Amino acid sequence: MDLPKRPCLLAFCRERPQFDEAFRTELRGLGAPLFAFAPGHGTLFGADDEPRDVGPRPEMWRIHGAGRAALTVVLLDERHRVRLRRDAPEAEATLLAAIREARLAVRAAPRGMGRRELLVNSLAVALGAAVLQACASSRPAPDMKAGPAIADLVDVKLVVNGDQRSLRVEPRVVLLDALRENLGLTGAKKGCDMGQCGACTVIIDGQRVNSCLKLVAQLEGAHVTTIEGLARGRELHPMQQAFLQQDALQCGYCTPGQILSAVALLREGKPQDDDEIRERMCGNLCRCGAYPNIVAAIRDVAGRA
Amino acid sequence: MRLFTFQRASSIDDAVASGSGAAFLAGGTNLVDLMKIEVLNPERVVDVARLDLGKIEVRDRALEIGALASNAAVAEHRDVSRAAPGLSEALLSGASPQLRNAATVGGNLLQRTRCAYYRDLGTRCNKREPGSGCDAMDGWTRMHAVLGVSDKCIAAHPSDMCVALYALDAVVRVRGPGGEREIPIGDLHLLPGDHPDQEFSLRVGELITGVRIPMDALAARSRYVKVRDRQAYAFALASCAAAVQVQGGVVRAARFALGGVGTKPWRVPEAERSTEGRPATRQTFADAAEMALRGAKPRRDNAFKVELAKRTAVRALMLSAEIAS
Repeated sequence: MDLPKRPCLLAFCRERPQFDEAFRTELRGLGAPLFAFAPGHGTLFGADDEPRDVGPRPEMWRIHGAGRAALTVVLLDERHRVRLRRDAPEAEATLLAAIREARLAVRAAPRGMGRRELLVNSLAVALGAAVLQACASSRPAPDMKAGPAIADLVDVKLVVNGDQRSLRVEPRVVLLDALRENLGLTGAKKGCDMGQCGACTVIIDGQRVNSCLKLVAQLEGAHVTTIEGLARGRELHPMQQAFLQQDALQCGYCTPGQILSAVALLREGKPQDDDEIRERMCGNLCRCGAYPNIVAAIRDVAGRA
Repeated sequence: MRLFTFQRASSIDDAVASGSGAAFLAGGTNLVDLMKIEVLNPERVVDVARLDLGKIEVRDRALEIGALASNAAVAEHRDVSRAAPGLSEALLSGASPQLRNAATVGGNLLQRTRCAYYRDLGTRCNKREPGSGCDAMDGWTRMHAVLGVSDKCIAAHPSDMCVALYALDAVVRVRGPGGEREIPIGDLHLLPGDHPDQEFSLRVGELITGVRIPMDALAARSRYVKVRDRQAYAFALASCAAAVQVQGGVVRAARFALGGVGTKPWRVPEAERSTEGRPATRQTFADAAEMALRGAKPRRDNAFKVELAKRTAVRALMLSAEIAS
């Protein structure tokens, strides 16, 4: 089947989905064509076009290892590499919910550029299609011929934001990439990818660390908190609230790392003054220079503790 | 990052049996970074992070620190900050909180240089590729060493912790296929000489299990002073761990080690001895610092380090001796 030479979404569902107006609205917001497959059916949705029948395409199910979960949604980039994948368990397996999720992921990219292009292109080039697909699926990916030999995959169970998650990854996959590309948690940001900028900061077993330097293979049984896990439902964490109130960001790219680092800082001990906040936040760089307001936000929350 | 096979060590013996070609991985802050930029490319990685080597305790008048204790845990430990404050200060002056949470004592002992040429595959480096040459020599040398250099390598040793451990006369415990042995810290790191690729005196399969620090009167007086290009989160231009014991205004004993200026942490016993029996004054310490920097070979961008290191040493010595500077 010919996929377009631009980012597109594939959805594999157990039953033929209903495409009502609410769904079409979601799709327009996404701005990428969607190929929806159900057993015996395949439909292409452009944002504005009428749905077009593309046939059942069993090879697509095979290539993407779909069918095991009630619903699988895959985001491909313009070179048809898997950039995001969601396997929805039974309970939340509506296509609409999955599309909304994917749309949120696309929206999470910074403004200014085409967001979906940015999303798919800004992810690690270093991790090629081979790694991505090996991560996404337990079987060898179909287009690995140009890639290196396949390493033994490592199975890791860990708890992310309170949810038990299972990963099967190459041993060289770091937590940052697994969060973003396997688990769809794009809050942890890839800045320098070498442990210097702190944009990838997450909390592992109570300790703030750079997720870009942590191999997933070492994290069996670990408890990971990302920015997505801080709020309780719709209620923001006090540190998130303080960042908003103090306007502690401009572009926002470093913000998830700043907030997690700040949350951990307060757990480690109350800072005595602004200088101590600055010193203890030294592992989180902000190229916009929002530091004064970041310090103010942390001072606010520390003062309430 | 190149592919490798991954193995979780189930015990110290299991790790030690992994043989040549294997790299031990703990916190990952140095090794994973260097694997990402393909400076280090181990075929096998043996995860030792879960081994039971994280304890920090006092035993027989010594601090016993497990190799897997995190830099943060050591720095914040009450016994450490009491018995060897210079070690706490050194650790807290290094890296960021995130890195200190992940980095371990064992990994820090084996921390690789931050020489920009070592880290850049596009340049020649005798440490990375023996015999290929050294582009640092005539390159940007602000961060490079002036002591212990050879015509093959001028890469500075980056660790703050190691500088303190040198001044504290620490002993490194290792376990290998042939059993356990102890290495005085000064013998762990090798000078570059003709073989800058050979950095440590460890034998194949040897795993660092811990560090022992004698809890003597000097250790309790140890301090660490670090000078860098910005106030936080930067490698040292010059640093000094110093410990001085003064009685009646006279120096009884002194030890000090320099960081940021040597191809390994730099100690000159002769300079330390020169202070003994002399009045605890700036002049005494300045003379010792002068002696410690003897033989320094600066290059284009780092001549300032010679004077900077002397002044840093004087400041650290005076801080330890509690003389207002």
